Amino acid sequence: MSRYKTRKGKEVVFLVAMAILTFVGILPLFHIIVTVFTEGLPVIAERGFTFLTGTLSNGGIGPAIAGTFILMFLSSLIGLPVALLVGIYAYEYPNSLIGRWTKTLLQIMLEFPTILVGVFVMNIVAIPMGTYSGFAGAFALAVILMPYVAVYTQEAMRQIPFTYREASFGLGLSRIKIISRILVPLSKRGILTGVLIGMAKVAGETAPLLFTVGGLYQSYPTSITKPIGAIPLLIYTLIQSPSNADHAMAWGASLVLLLIFLLIFIPVRASLKEVRL
Amino acid sequence: MSKYAIETKNLKIYYADNEIIKGINLKIPENTIFALMGPSGCGKSTLLRAFNRLLELNKDARIEGEVLIFGKNIYADDVNPISIRREIGMVFQYPNPFPHLAIYDNVAIGLKLNHLVRNKEEMDKRVRWALEKSSLWDEVKDRLREYPASLSGGQKQRLVIARALALKPKILLMDEPTANIDPLGTKNIEKLLFELKRDYTIILVTHEPAQAARISDYVGFLYLGKLIEVGLTKDIFEKPKSELTEKYVTGVLV
Repeated sequence: MSRYKTRKGKEVVFLVAMAILTFVGILPLFHIIVTVFTEGLPVIAERGFTFLTGTLSNGGIGPAIAGTFILMFLSSLIGLPVALLVGIYAYEYPNSLIGRWTKTLLQIMLEFPTILVGVFVMNIVAIPMGTYSGFAGAFALAVILMPYVAVYTQEAMRQIPFTYREASFGLGLSRIKIISRILVPLSKRGILTGVLIGMAKVAGETAPLLFTVGGLYQSYPTSITKPIGAIPLLIYTLIQSPSNADHAMAWGASLVLLLIFLLIFIPVRASLKEVRL
Repeated sequence: MSKYAIETKNLKIYYADNEIIKGINLKIPENTIFALMGPSGCGKSTLLRAFNRLLELNKDARIEGEVLIFGKNIYADDVNPISIRREIGMVFQYPNPFPHLAIYDNVAIGLKLNHLVRNKEEMDKRVRWALEKSSLWDEVKDRLREYPASLSGGQKQRLVIARALALKPKILLMDEPTANIDPLGTKNIEKLLFELKRDYTIILVTHEPAQAARISDYVGFLYLGKLIEVGLTKDIFEKPKSELTEKYVTGVLV
């Protein structure tokens, strides 16, 4: 009886310790979210709709929001097709020489310092073009997006039980049809997760934009070959200013960025819970 | 023209350096059920996959010898494995209708992607024909647009049979089709195989001697990659020539 009590006691101690450590672990995340809301919400509430649509001198971040969405769209346009093909290739030919190299390179690209991507794209796009541009920024973001989506695609397809692969080959279908009509649709949820996570990541990136987009906050962007703004880059610029008004703007912009991020992320998490296959 | 649906000549199969199938000579007559029985790991599934070149999905597999399908060597240089697979239907151990396709589309997909029918009407007819042939039509005719997840294991397996039949193959390869099916489903599938042999040659892999005895016309007993004995089912079960076969069919050797 007493041994049972000691064991019970140990279990309680352990559970409490776990709970505290978990709490300590996620505290920073909650702190960030709560601070962004408490600091950002009053700014947005005070300026209302102008904050979302107005230019910087009108007290709004409209051009930065537009810039972020344009950059997300353009970088997806450039990066997703490449990423899907690379991911499918790495899945289909995992043991070929190119396949093995591809997988290694993807892992390296995943962890590659993003500021170097920015420098690289500045050298091959921005300098030859002679100007910062939305295109250069989108290109840099595409380089960051690509490995995420490719790895997710490859992993999602690897989860398909071999028997479906055998079944499709057994029907006398060509490899390209098997991939495009059976294997990709079977793993579409995993692939879509990768696409959304990649886009969410790209929406929050700052470093690759430093030397590529230039920034544009006093008017809305008109062309992808001209400088463009982005929310994270605007936050970075505003924080460096000594003025309290600019800091307030930065908090408001942070909240907008956080909301965009969560809007992409929450559906992903929700969809992941569904049973596959 | 050979009268045999499948004939193998000194067929050897290697995985990397291991010889899995050790020189098999086999003749399977048309419109029969030929059961390939043997304990787990004896190479039954491997041998079966050599008959429609599905073995090539495994990069380590290497094949020597000949496999003749209706007298034609399918491993000749000018043969496209895709066309071979189209002519030979296959059913697997785990009922594997495509989960992202509706019941109708599961049957239609082979025809659709291979462009084997001209219009919707023809497709409808062929899908219905295949489902009737696999005695599933009455059970699914009102829910062709539903997904196979709503079917029982036995129904799923009959759907897979319909998927194979839709391509009008001459030969059906079945890799332990009832291994994951409940007794009632197994009974239905065995009944179905009995009806199907009128039009098809069926190669049935099974690890259950009793199943081979129930439904096959001929039996081959495979043990450690060698064909120990082959003959009429009645003969193999009633007066086996080999001691190993006798041990296996009486359940001593497992």
